[in-house]
Amino acid sequence: MNRLILWRMLQEEIRLNTSFASGKGFYSFPILVSISGFLAIAFTDEMIADMGYIEYLEVLHFGILFYGVFAGTLAFFGNEFLERIFGYLGLIIGLPTTQPITQRKITLLYFIKEFIFYSFFTLIPAFIGGLIGSYFYGIDLINLIEFSISLSFSFLTGLSFAYLISSLYRISWKFSVVGGLVTLIIYSLSVRNIAITPSLEWYLHKEPIFIFISLFNPLIISFCATILVTNYYEEGSIKTIGYQDRLKEYIEKFNWAKKISNPTIISKERIDLQRSKTGTKMFFSFAFPLGILTFMNWFIDKGLPIQVDFNTIFYGVMVGFFGTMIYSWLNTIDSPTFYSTLPVTVSDVVRARLVLFFTITWWIPLLFLSLISYMSSEINLLPIGIIVMITVGMYIVNYTAWSTGLRTNSALFDAIVFLKFFVISVPPMIAMTILSLAISYSISTVLIALSCICGILALFSIFFYNKIEVKWQKETFD
Amino acid sequence: MTLISCKELSKKYDDVLALDKVNIDIEKGEFFGLLGPNGAGKTTLLKILTGQIKSSEGTAEILGMNIEDNVIDVKKKIAIVPEQESPPSFLTPREVLEMVASIRQIENPDIEEWITFFELEAMEGRVCRNLSRGQKQKVMLAAAFISDTELMFLDEPFINLDPIVQTKVRDWLIQYVENGGTVFLNTHLLENAQRLCDRAAIIHNGKIQSMIKINELDSQNISLEELFHEIIL
Repeated sequence: MNRLILWRMLQEEIRLNTSFASGKGFYSFPILVSISGFLAIAFTDEMIADMGYIEYLEVLHFGILFYGVFAGTLAFFGNEFLERIFGYLGLIIGLPTTQPITQRKITLLYFIKEFIFYSFFTLIPAFIGGLIGSYFYGIDLINLIEFSISLSFSFLTGLSFAYLISSLYRISWKFSVVGGLVTLIIYSLSVRNIAITPSLEWYLHKEPIFIFISLFNPLIISFCATILVTNYYEEGSIKTIGYQDRLKEYIEKFNWAKKISNPTIISKERIDLQRSKTGTKMFFSFAFPLGILTFMNWFIDKGLPIQVDFNTIFYGVMVGFFGTMIYSWLNTIDSPTFYSTLPVTVSDVVRARLVLFFTITWWIPLLFLSLISYMSSEINLLPIGIIVMITVGMYIVNYTAWSTGLRTNSALFDAIVFLKFFVISVPPMIAMTILSLAISYSISTVLIALSCICGILALFSIFFYNKIEVKWQKETFD
Repeated sequence: MTLISCKELSKKYDDVLALDKVNIDIEKGEFFGLLGPNGAGKTTLLKILTGQIKSSEGTAEILGMNIEDNVIDVKKKIAIVPEQESPPSFLTPREVLEMVASIRQIENPDIEEWITFFELEAMEGRVCRNLSRGQKQKVMLAAAFISDTELMFLDEPFINLDPIVQTKVRDWLIQYVENGGTVFLNTHLLENAQRLCDRAAIIHNGKIQSMIKINELDSQNISLEELFHEIIL
């Protein structure tokens, strides 16, 4: 029976993914991963020369560990968002509500399914890419296999960590924070005298004990997560009573925006944002990648022979880029199906959410940038950082809105949409990052170049915004 | 005057033919019922007629306008109650009605009347996410009724409603049609269809199997249920 459920879960996962990304886009993703695997091998020598052997391997392991956390978070917390976007969504993991099977068992099967799915979806394609690369660049095959195995263990550790957090979260969010921190501390202490993951330690020194630890760690974590799964889980509901009717008040407040959007839709979205408490989630979703970025900054500084200082302008670029996350959050608050009963187009709702993004959620990136600037003693760079942040944010969010409409999260799963997003977003970001790092060498040249790029990005922002109407006007909410 | 007209309307989902060359004309002032078993194509047809999805072939005209070319203009003049009750999760029932009135630019909307009609006073201060399915359905119906349109599309509107509210809704709909309104009702509750509709079509496997004048059933000594069973089984 377990095998059958597992098999059906895998089928469900593929059908779910192909239902919100195009089949072509979904199946292209492993090809992209294979190409990445090939490129990782092709540029191995250069990367090792630049970063150092151990540091390069650590970055790869660190990356795959976080990929595991990300994949697990998506798996264990994603359903809630999917339901908000698509309405009711019945998945096999919900089977215990009607069938004689425990939630514990079905959640464990779900976790195993996730590992199998991601193994076939990314780990094996990456290995195949690496295999092709090793043929062309003369990398030892045994070495490649051993390193791939070690990466798989790191991925599994990340995935099991997300599983544990989700189990704790279903008990209480405080448990998840405390439990997550405790696990992180224990993990950090256990690897303090070895490489960043035990599997990397095994790869580097071939001591058999570490391959056992590599396997033991995720097993223990996922065992604890499974034990913590309870059969009676009541979703933490938002406040039940006592809401004041505020729509009219907001419609009046947003009346100024009537020429660019519909004040009633903006008001509805504004209330959604407030009552769903998505602002808090947005804040933490900002804190997480910025924390990793800061850690990477520290890590690179420590590992590289030259000093690299990410300054406020660089963070302005990054924080602006993360604006796309805020927009995607706005698309997960509530299902838009009610709009299908009204004389409203998809483009009306997209534009309303953009107005909301630019007027209401601005404080989150601004707060982060100001904090980073203050902590780095770079208040003098803050005005430039803010201009860069606003321009990059406008550019990336307008592009995201134009290209993905109301389904940002699911659309970015489509490899083709993702590739286009990558091509549009990465080149200006790289250019601005290089300029930000060069500001201490020639401030005037850098400022002129930054102004030019900001000007171009602003023009593109207007272009994308104006194209939203054409692209989404005839789209249905269904 | 024909308010709804569809010709050779088909809808394909991949290889599944959900609608197969459907032809229907509905006149102003009619109470029209579309009957059929689950998965017959009722909701698909209603969604096409209300511009929620596009047809694969054929044309549909609502109030003399091609629906695919004039979605917004048509939606301004029709009210829709979809199959799944889906009022905005984080608005209160009153705010939902205010929102509908504002988007539809209804002057002096009688929100109080509809709040009272659907007994939603007790739901004041609650957001729709925390309402029961029946309460959500009441909000959806109130949002449609407040729209004050001449044509109404209802997809299984009585599901989840308690018997008292069902009666109130039925009575209101009869009054609405008597005052010149037109109703397109999707249902598999044959009793309601027999009570309310002037004319009905039975759809099965995406095809219209029969067009019935309800008042002629008596003279033929057959109930709607018997006819339905005869056609479907």
